[in-house]
Amino acid sequence: MTLHEGEAGQSYRVSGLELPTALERRLEALGILEGTAVTVLRKKPHGAMVIYVRGARFAIGRRIAENITVSGKEVH
Amino acid sequence: MEHSLSIGFAGNPNCGKTTLFNAYTGANLKVANWPGVTVEKKEGSFKFHDHLYKLVDLPGAYSLTSYTLEEQVTRQYILGPEVDVIIDVADASALERNLYLTLQLIELGKPVILALNMMDIVEKRGMEIDLHRLPEMLGIPVIPVSARRKTGLDILMHAAAHHADGGSDLPLIHHHDESGETVTQQTRHEKLAMVYSPDIEEKIDQLSALLRESYPEIVNLRWHAVKLLEGDREIRERYPLDCPDILDRSYEKEIINQKYDFIEEIVSEVLVNRDRKAAVTDRADTLLTHPVLGLPIFLLVMALVFFLTFSVGDWLKGYFETGLELLSGGARAGLAALHVSPVAISLLVDGIIAGVGGILTFLPNIFILFLALAFLEDSGYMSRVAYVMDGIMGRLGLSGRAFIPMVLGFGCTVPAIMATRTLENKHDRYRTMLITPFMSCSARLPIYVLFSSIFFAEHAMLAAFSMYLLGLAVAVLCAFLIRLGDRKQEDPSSLLIELPEYKSPSARTIAIYVWEKVKDYLTKAGTTIFIASIIMWFLLHFGPGGYSEEMSVTFGSMLGRFVVPFFQPIGLGFWQVVVALIAGVSAKEVVVSSCAVLFGIGNINSAAGMTALQGSLSALGFGALNAYALMTFSLLYVPCAATLAVIHRETESWRRTLLTAVFQIGVAWVVTFAVYHIGLLLV
Repeated sequence: MTLHEGEAGQSYRVSGLELPTALERRLEALGILEGTAVTVLRKKPHGAMVIYVRGARFAIGRRIAENITVSGKEVH
Repeated sequence: MEHSLSIGFAGNPNCGKTTLFNAYTGANLKVANWPGVTVEKKEGSFKFHDHLYKLVDLPGAYSLTSYTLEEQVTRQYILGPEVDVIIDVADASALERNLYLTLQLIELGKPVILALNMMDIVEKRGMEIDLHRLPEMLGIPVIPVSARRKTGLDILMHAAAHHADGGSDLPLIHHHDESGETVTQQTRHEKLAMVYSPDIEEKIDQLSALLRESYPEIVNLRWHAVKLLEGDREIRERYPLDCPDILDRSYEKEIINQKYDFIEEIVSEVLVNRDRKAAVTDRADTLLTHPVLGLPIFLLVMALVFFLTFSVGDWLKGYFETGLELLSGGARAGLAALHVSPVAISLLVDGIIAGVGGILTFLPNIFILFLALAFLEDSGYMSRVAYVMDGIMGRLGLSGRAFIPMVLGFGCTVPAIMATRTLENKHDRYRTMLITPFMSCSARLPIYVLFSSIFFAEHAMLAAFSMYLLGLAVAVLCAFLIRLGDRKQEDPSSLLIELPEYKSPSARTIAIYVWEKVKDYLTKAGTTIFIASIIMWFLLHFGPGGYSEEMSVTFGSMLGRFVVPFFQPIGLGFWQVVVALIAGVSAKEVVVSSCAVLFGIGNINSAAGMTALQGSLSALGFGALNAYALMTFSLLYVPCAATLAVIHRETESWRRTLLTAVFQIGVAWVVTFAVYHIGLLLV
């Protein structure tokens, strides 16, 4: 599943990124890469979401969230 | 003996680096660009315990790759000979992400000191950081500081002075290993903070040996070897090595992951009692970033900002007016008593005091506006606005991030245009630059305050507020139309922005921010508006026949009459108004100061001045609708010379700058035409 399909309040683990290289680099520098645990804090029905990664919150747009694949719902 | 110590401040964006930097240097800064790039460089210096400390605020960065200008600038500077010590400012409440930069800084080989900021937030959340174990694991001094409360500042500089001495350029960190002969994974851990997996370490060793042979000038072999393994473009180009067996592919993912693995190890050891409860930020965000309520709340916040600007500002303004009245009257009487020629008295009183002084009386409004904007920015709310607006902006083909420059545009267009730098996509950036000037900046405020108070009496605040909404609406509409007409129709770049913890804003940061704006305003009053007032006075008191008391035979009126036909259809067919608008290109406040000079009104922002102006304007047939048309045109046409200059600097294109100016005049004309004619039908 993609991160965009994630539910608010749930945690996931990133299994892959399918984004332009430059954007992938930026996410990597922010600590968002394969194997990272991500918690969805809030999401708008059709738009951006707020995620919690390694002690920080980020707002990410739909297009990014749709291209991050995640696995496994982990108990928060 | 006096030593001089050069210290670079590095850190993630939003870690409190600038607040800490300001705590040392105060407003006493030298701001310039880094050589060759448009990245801001801030320098300051101060004396402490016989040392002269030179501080450089490095651009905020999350990592030290060569993908962004900021990162390149930072690492070039740290590798270079100019800097003695690096102070790495980290947000203790987001330790994991901040340590990633710390590990990279340590690898660069210069002495690094970790300044742990925002410890109070950590404590408030019921967590603790083991300040003995952390420096042990990192191998560098760790000093807890609070940039806001200004604690730990002396100790930090002390540590910097002492740690600088141990500075060899090698990434040796622990000093207890003297032999260093047999290198094993075990001994590495004694020497280095960051040790990679055995296979990567082996490659680092092989590459280091090759680099030493081919490029003996390299000081920090380990760092260069790591960068080659990461496939760093800049280092690969500068130090090419032919060894396909070692550099068979990019090991970047492994290197990043292993760094983060180590960070997780550190964090699990040093961070005690990690908070599981929803922090204040989460509770505030539940409301402020609510999918439905987020937008109305933002609009309410902005309405409050403008309400404060007008109400509190107006209350303070009274005192300024009294002062100006005294000055103006005193100067006229005093100069007359000294038998100064009437022409000179007119220049000073009707030109300079009326023009510049009239503008100064708006200072309280502008002060309150910037105070409110600084508060929004420093509290952490601004990045939430990007999230809240992302949906609407997405329909305009822009990311929510483009909305931040637009909000800043309410303060001043110039820094707002510069803030578009955070948009990576060039196309998005130029579109944002085109529409940002429609956001009503503080320089237009005097025009609204003056004309709406004169013509709309009790509805004055409503009339002024409608300008802000109109500006926003025109910006949105233009963005939409530009997107429709855009042949490329690229996918809009997606939002990616950090939402920092909310914090009560630092009084000092706000004070410095507001003081800079007030200083800018005073400087503008003293230079641009001063000169414009003198020029206006000349244009309006001299004609082909020399000095004249009769304005209608002066150069100014000739110029105005020549352009009047262009303004006739939009309800502004008055040569005096046209002259004021043309002069307003130098700075928008000049529209008001020019009216003061045009109609010979000493204290234009006072009740008496307004009555006088209203009388003069009514005599010309200029009524409420014309005033509204004037406000509309002033809102939308070319903001000012400084904005055009900054657009030229940022786009590096005269064509685009000129296009922007023509576009804005065109939009202003069309919208004002519509407003005026709809008004005619209604009245």
